[in-house]
Amino acid sequence: MRAGTISVTDLHVTFRSRQGLVAALAGLTLDITAGELACIVGPSGCGKTTLLRVLAGLQPADAGHAWIQPADAARPTAGMVFQNGGVFPWYTVAENVGYGLRMRGIAPAQRAPIVRRWLAEIGLERFADAYPAQLSGGMLQRVGLARAFAYDPAVLLMDEPFAALDAQNRLLLQQTLLRQWEGDGRTVLFVTHGIDEALALGDRVYVMSARPGRIIATIDVPFQRPRDAAALRSDPRFGTLYGEIWSVLRDEVARARDAERDEADI
Amino acid sequence: MTRRDRALSLLSPLALLLVWELAVASTWLNRIFYPPPSEVLVTLVELAMSGQLVRDAGISLLRVTVGFVLGAVPAIVVGILMGIAAPVRAAVRPLAAAIYPIPKIALLPLIIVSLGIGETSKIVTIAVSVFFLVVLNVAASVLQVDPRMFDVARSFGARARELFWTVALPGSMPGIMASIKLGVGYALTLIVGIEFVGANDGIGRLIWQSYEVYAIDRMVAALIVVALIGWLATVLLDEVEYLLVPWQATSVRIRETRMQHYARTWWRAMRPWSYTAAIIPVLLGSSIAAVAGTVDGWLLFLTLIGSVAIQGGTNLINDYYDYQKGTDRPGSIGTGDAILQGALTPRQVFAGGLVAFALGAVIGLYLVSVSGPLILWIGIASLAVGFFYTAGPFALAYHGLGELAVFIFMGPVIVAGSYYVQRQDAPLGVVLAALPVGFLVAAILHANNLRDLDGDRRSGKRTLATILGRAGARTELYVLLIGAYVVLSALVVAGITPWPTLLGLVTLPVAVRLMRIAAAESEPARLQPIVPLAAQLHLQTGVLMIVGWLVALALPRT
Ligand SMILES: Nc1ncnc2c1ncn2[C@@H]1O[C@H](COP(=O)(O)OP(=O)(O)OP(=O)(O)O)[C@@H](O)[C@H]1O
Ligand SMILES: [Mg+2]
Repeated sequence: MRAGTISVTDLHVTFRSRQGLVAALAGLTLDITAGELACIVGPSGCGKTTLLRVLAGLQPADAGHAWIQPADAARPTAGMVFQNGGVFPWYTVAENVGYGLRMRGIAPAQRAPIVRRWLAEIGLERFADAYPAQLSGGMLQRVGLARAFAYDPAVLLMDEPFAALDAQNRLLLQQTLLRQWEGDGRTVLFVTHGIDEALALGDRVYVMSARPGRIIATIDVPFQRPRDAAALRSDPRFGTLYGEIWSVLRDEVARARDAERDEADI
Repeated sequence: MTRRDRALSLLSPLALLLVWELAVASTWLNRIFYPPPSEVLVTLVELAMSGQLVRDAGISLLRVTVGFVLGAVPAIVVGILMGIAAPVRAAVRPLAAAIYPIPKIALLPLIIVSLGIGETSKIVTIAVSVFFLVVLNVAASVLQVDPRMFDVARSFGARARELFWTVALPGSMPGIMASIKLGVGYALTLIVGIEFVGANDGIGRLIWQSYEVYAIDRMVAALIVVALIGWLATVLLDEVEYLLVPWQATSVRIRETRMQHYARTWWRAMRPWSYTAAIIPVLLGSSIAAVAGTVDGWLLFLTLIGSVAIQGGTNLINDYYDYQKGTDRPGSIGTGDAILQGALTPRQVFAGGLVAFALGAVIGLYLVSVSGPLILWIGIASLAVGFFYTAGPFALAYHGLGELAVFIFMGPVIVAGSYYVQRQDAPLGVVLAALPVGFLVAAILHANNLRDLDGDRRSGKRTLATILGRAGARTELYVLLIGAYVVLSALVVAGITPWPTLLGLVTLPVAVRLMRIAAAESEPARLQPIVPLAAQLHLQTGVLMIVGWLVALALPRT
């Protein structure tokens, strides 16, 4: 198996909360080849974050397997971009971006140029020494993004990384991601709420069911690479695929809402 | 604040004082119970001039400081352990929670019964009170750290050790800082109460004594001093907070007044983190004096202030001349860069250095009057060396004599001087006992020069490192470090210092780490760690040797 191959088989994760047991994932199976840019869409609360957490080794599975084929010992297996940015308030922007490198045992002198490069990439050079409290939500998300890229893992797990960004910055960062990925060909698992974002970025779009989450549809995205995320929308196939995904998702979103309403009644 | 608001905030207290003054003058208020502000001011000046006020305040401060440190340091350690380890929490919490609500002043009689009425019982009361207050608060702040931050760190491969240093500790730092502030406030309240009851000196005693003879003016004057101490503590703690929790302070900083900004700029310019080099030898000399007999806390306090003042002055003068001679340039690593950052003008820095020297001189003269002429010579020599360290045509530091000057003055001279202040004598044994500290303080400077070797060469600054060359400079570092440990052991073997001072050998691994880095690297950025390591080595070894002497104090005499 090539480094960066993801293989998830019949994954079950159940949470114990005060309301009782919550099955977040039940029988989720997913295979992603190395170097694929895979997008996941699904209704809110269906277990997308949970899946990424299991893959990042932060959440044990109750049953089933989740496996990422590791690269050589020098390179980390998986790095995560957190839904809320997950930026450490007590470190400066530069220290945050260099955090993963620091954990890899890379000396400060060697971290500095990498950190500088990524700060430039996300347009925050001037904020290198600022603390997160001085940044906007969108800026924080970019810091989380740069931190994961600088860490340079075999698989990037991205949990709605662009959700808090304005439309212009989102487009810019989508292009950054594509350019980067087309260059290094690492595996990317990209969770998003936006069907258009999934189509613009992904090789394949996986649709998840309402909770407990499973993969209920897999759509191959035919657009050629290198891609221009901005120009795609005028392609006639874009509308067709969008409609196809939405028809699956619509029912699930409705089901998820009903379930939430029922829970609130209890 | 608008100008009008600022004027109002100044005028309203002034108006109150004026009304008070007039009310007494018109005999509407009884002068005996309500002394007018003018009278209080006169009393305050009188008390200050007689030295009594400073002495009492100094003694109270010393009690608070020692008690607070003895209580807070273990409380922070135990509190953090409680926060991260459930078993420790389970073991300590019930005990701490049970003792916590007792008003600690109620424990004073109990503590006096077991420890006597002397200094120990006062310090222990403060330490115990601070401990229980701080330990629970620290534990709570560790538990409050956002659990998602631990996940983020784990996702980047952080293990237990890294989780502690990069998440648990910084995450709980704001809470720890708040606990420290709480503890200081509590300790300040407590000391006054303790001194009311059982003390022959101290600011609380002054208040109580004044009450007993109905000297209300003295009482108010003492209260003003208490308020002043409280205010100073707040300012100092804010500074500590800024150093420890910079990410939280930033938003607060924007609103700081111009005066606070000014005070902070000076504080930075004087490089307070270098003061351990001035403090350790004073404490060592005084500890040796304690073993030989008794130690006067007030004189110790003055010696500390004097030593730090001369060091601070030296730092400022040093910055001024380094700037003038062009050794410091923007971008050079680790300089005292108030001038370079444009925060202070060169002239201001120079004047500040002279003021610090003047303070050192005044304290020195007082010490001469109490203990004897040796202090005069030490003082004059210290000021001269401090000044000509970087000033004048024969700047010591630029002629390879920096290490030697620092070795002599920050080692044997201060240690023997501090001993002399207490005992009016300076035996050879004390001078010898100071040698390890001298070696290590010279090593700090030399580590700095070794790191800056290439840069100093270019700017023509002749340090021992540039004169000896890279290989020679490395050897010099080894000699200084190994020398410290060899001399330390030799002194014990020769029976000059007591065996518990061997505790200082515990830091050997740090020295080895330092030498390894110095041997392997030559680039300034890679060598940077040797400077903080050398400072750490000096501080830790010094503290351990002091502890060794104090342990010897407790041992039965042979
Ligand atoms: N630690 C936990 N304890 C209890 N329940 C949890 C926990 N974490 C997640 N859940 C529940 O598991 C379900 C899936 O959560 P998850 O965060 O994976 O959803 P998601 O698909 O990422 O949602 P969104 O798109 O809104 O981010 C939710 O119903 C959530 O309430
Ligand atoms: Mg989520």
